[in-house]
Amino acid sequence: MTHIHTSPGVLDAGDGRSVTKGNGPGGTAPPAAPKRPDRRENVAGYLFMSPWIAGFLFLIAGPMVFSLYLSFTEYNLFEAPRWIGLQNFTDMFADPRWRQSVEVTSWYVLIGTPIKLAAALAVAMLLAQKRWGQSFYRAAFYAPSLIGASVSAAIVWRALFSDDAIVDRTQKAFGFEAGGWIGDPAMIIYALIALTVWQFGAPMVIFLAGLKQVPRELYEAAEVDGAGPWRRFFHITLPMISPVLFFNVLLETIHSFQIFGSAYIVSNGSCGPADATLVYTCYLYEQGFVNSRMGFASAMGWLLLVAVGLVTAVLFWSQKRWVHYEEGGR
Amino acid sequence: MSRNNGMDRRQLLKLAGLSAAGLGLTAAGCGSGGSGSGGPVTIRHSWWGADDRAKKIQQCVGLFEKKHPKIKVKTDFQQYPDFWKKFNTQAAGGNPPDVIQNAVTFLRKYEAKNVLLDLRPQVDKGNLDLGGFRSGLEKFAEIDGKLLGVPVGSNSMALVIDEKVYEKAGITPEIGWTWDDWLAGLQKIKSGQKIAGDAGPHGVMYLYDLILRQNGKAFFTEDGMGFGEAELLPYWTEALERVKSGLYADPNKVEQLKPASATAKGLSAGEFTWDNFSVRYSAEGKSSYGLAPIPSTDGKKTGQYLGSLMLSGTARTKHPAEVATFISFMTHDPEVARIMGYDRGVPATTAQFEAFQPTDAPSKAIGAYETAIADAGVLEPITPHPAGADVIEAAFLRIGADLALGKTSPKDSVKQFFSEAKTALASN
Repeated sequence: MTHIHTSPGVLDAGDGRSVTKGNGPGGTAPPAAPKRPDRRENVAGYLFMSPWIAGFLFLIAGPMVFSLYLSFTEYNLFEAPRWIGLQNFTDMFADPRWRQSVEVTSWYVLIGTPIKLAAALAVAMLLAQKRWGQSFYRAAFYAPSLIGASVSAAIVWRALFSDDAIVDRTQKAFGFEAGGWIGDPAMIIYALIALTVWQFGAPMVIFLAGLKQVPRELYEAAEVDGAGPWRRFFHITLPMISPVLFFNVLLETIHSFQIFGSAYIVSNGSCGPADATLVYTCYLYEQGFVNSRMGFASAMGWLLLVAVGLVTAVLFWSQKRWVHYEEGGR
Repeated sequence: MSRNNGMDRRQLLKLAGLSAAGLGLTAAGCGSGGSGSGGPVTIRHSWWGADDRAKKIQQCVGLFEKKHPKIKVKTDFQQYPDFWKKFNTQAAGGNPPDVIQNAVTFLRKYEAKNVLLDLRPQVDKGNLDLGGFRSGLEKFAEIDGKLLGVPVGSNSMALVIDEKVYEKAGITPEIGWTWDDWLAGLQKIKSGQKIAGDAGPHGVMYLYDLILRQNGKAFFTEDGMGFGEAELLPYWTEALERVKSGLYADPNKVEQLKPASATAKGLSAGEFTWDNFSVRYSAEGKSSYGLAPIPSTDGKKTGQYLGSLMLSGTARTKHPAEVATFISFMTHDPEVARIMGYDRGVPATTAQFEAFQPTDAPSKAIGAYETAIADAGVLEPITPHPAGADVIEAAFLRIGADLALGKTSPKDSVKQFFSEAKTALASN
């Protein structure tokens, strides 16, 4: 009995304290008191975020605003920027090398991205099956994309596809006296595409995760109904992994637009031969840092941003037609 | 226990912070005191080139620091195109190196942007010695009365040839030979030995400048182009025919060999380049290589001049006196010449020229070549290069290569070149 009596009293006391502290506005304590710890917490929060905020302001937002301004000026790094309005943009469309860079980049995105994704999906499907040494194969196929972005891989690529190197010799063994790909304006872009396809590891891992989510029963039911492997792929696998596919298409497309390092290194810093690897960013870099036309380069950068934004918007718009989300799974 | 010490964690931290700040202050004090009052001064010297030049320059710097213990020199190098990218960025950011390697193509560009240091006051103060330069080099980097650089070596255009191929073909190039003689030689080499006679000279700006000069024109005037489409179109049309007929090397292969030389790799019997570059050929190739004179139109006028690498100071430097002392040392000290050899061309001062007696065949050939052209009396003054010349040179080389690869017609190539040249002149 005593026990029952005392406990409500204790509870009351606890309640009363919690009311004065926590539920300030409705409570009996002065309204200013509860705000103080909040503000202090905010300050602490902002303090902890400040390195990021400073980094964002000085390294991202600031330079972006400045480059937007520069894109309407003529600026050679040494003299003050001179306002020229839209001149950079009109110059761009009149410049045959700029058009070449757009062409090369579009070609690279349109050819390279689908092949890369197809390769990633194909290998992911192989690796999704249970077999001996599965984790070794997964690691082995993923490895190239770890080192893929590095300068060394591009240098190796250049060595592989040069005149009289292994690719050339293999061609010769099969009777094609075509010469190396690096010096051939018609072929070097395919060497670059091969390099990006080779780095399919990241989308592959995402596909693997997607494939794991497809319910086994669907395949069993389809098999019972007499559906062959192709039918099962097109009517079960593809629709079921379409959200993952959409994610990969989006990411890889944006990624492809930004190709620079591999093109620059494989072409030995020339974006050539004959401008065959003059990808958009390569030309941007050349205009900015070699020809000292920073205004023009900034304008090119902003146009790329808009173009990538548009392509992304189109992809998002298109997903209604082909991306299927599970009921309630969104 | 801690209470007894009278100090909690927060106080400890405060103390630590204070002492750290104190250390920082004293360190800063040391730094500013050091450079102000005759303490050691550090200057930065950057240049373009490769590893072998790096070793030689480091040796020279070691020697300089021994003789001038109060001056330290930090060096930095890149390949030629990367060098200028980095320099542009540094200079625009207000932090260029104190001393740079420089060339005539860049003088007006950076003079217009006030990047280069006028060395004239340092000459007057006695920090920079301008005596003893070989003839034709004294006023090399003077623009509008300002002294913007000091030459460290001289070079001239030449035709590097594979001696074995030329010997087999029975051709002996001599001073006074003409373009017709040269072309006949290429045909002989092609039919006799199934190798291209030349690597393809159509993108080499400095050679085309000589050809223009032989015909009373020049590549550049002081503020623009010294020639027009009417000159370039027949030159490039002819070049494309020669590529197709195999007189010039397969451009596809030449492209892939870069940065190695086509002649050294056995793709062609010769190529036009600077005479001091010939040092690298015997290292890169298997044959023996020699220098042949530039052919001319009339058998006399080659249009040649002495080109040169130079050292320039930058205007932002806080130590102009030390910069001048270093440049003076690099151009006059005989020991430097013995270390550098003909790496940056034939030494510019007589003291250095006499100090280095070449013993290796390529260096001997360069010495002999420069003496021969000087004796032949073909040397003329250099034509000025306007701001933007570096971008124009790169465009000439690139479009020349595009043309040879069959990507554009000669007519479109010429148009494209002049359009890019116009932009470069306007924006630099």
